[in-house]
Amino acid sequence: MTLAFAFLAGMTLVSALGVVLSRSVVHSALFMSGSFLGISGYFVMLNAPALAAFQVLIYVGAVTVVILFGIMFTQKPQVRRYRTIINRQFWAGFLVAAGVGCFLAYVLAAENWGDTKAGNGPREVAAFGRDLLGVSQGAEIFTLLFEVASVLLLVAVVAAIVVSRRKMGQGVDRGVRE
Amino acid sequence: MPGVPAQVQQFIDALVSAPPLEGYLVVGAFLFAIGAWGALIRRNAVVIFMCVELMINGVNLTLVAFADYLPGAGGLGVSYAVLVIAIAAAEIAVGLAIVLAVFRSRRTVNVDEVTSMRG
Repeated sequence: MTLAFAFLAGMTLVSALGVVLSRSVVHSALFMSGSFLGISGYFVMLNAPALAAFQVLIYVGAVTVVILFGIMFTQKPQVRRYRTIINRQFWAGFLVAAGVGCFLAYVLAAENWGDTKAGNGPREVAAFGRDLLGVSQGAEIFTLLFEVASVLLLVAVVAAIVVSRRKMGQGVDRGVRE
Repeated sequence: MPGVPAQVQQFIDALVSAPPLEGYLVVGAFLFAIGAWGALIRRNAVVIFMCVELMINGVNLTLVAFADYLPGAGGLGVSYAVLVIAIAAAEIAVGLAIVLAVFRSRRTVNVDEVTSMRG
């Protein structure tokens, strides 16, 4: 388990650094899916196999494809110099992010979490489904949250269509004038 | 297992035992920090979205680690993680639509050049 933990930590964090520091946008997107795969491995280790499946389906599959579509529509896939892709706050941003990360890690590691033991997660998919739909004891709020999330997804899809739709006689596609 | 020195047995036990809660929390915190760094320094709007997704995943990892390790959590952090994934999917859909609309009117996705709302 510790070996798998170390492997997944390396995969996740190195891929995340690849997203930030890669000079090609397409490489950034592929590094991002690698990082998401590492996180889904963590979900398997943390007794949430159904959530790991969701992670692979939604993040590694859908979100990566949507972002690759966005890249395809908006820019040429080419390697650029660092000066053109990174603004002047490289080291200032690094200091801020490292400060935030070290502070968070220190607080989370120094806090006394009491009696922690692995294995409390809903390993069975049936128990997980009862939690998610608000059937099980103490999880009644999820009935409401599930419905709100579904309405939010519908609104977001309609908004995405409305925002990105080309108005009549306005704007041009790449290279093709109307 | 017979014939194995005590130290080696101890090492093997440490390798197969479950890692502590703090390990997951620290990985989640550093994933969040790397995402924040990228969102601060990159110029491309699409890459900034990727970095926001990394931050969301760091928080999700923290939620699921708490759900598995804290007895009082009742495993509900996993359900919250599902909701977070759904909301992040909605965010990426609307965000990329906005990026496409900005690109259509300005021919660029460089956030340093989109300054029409600057006061």
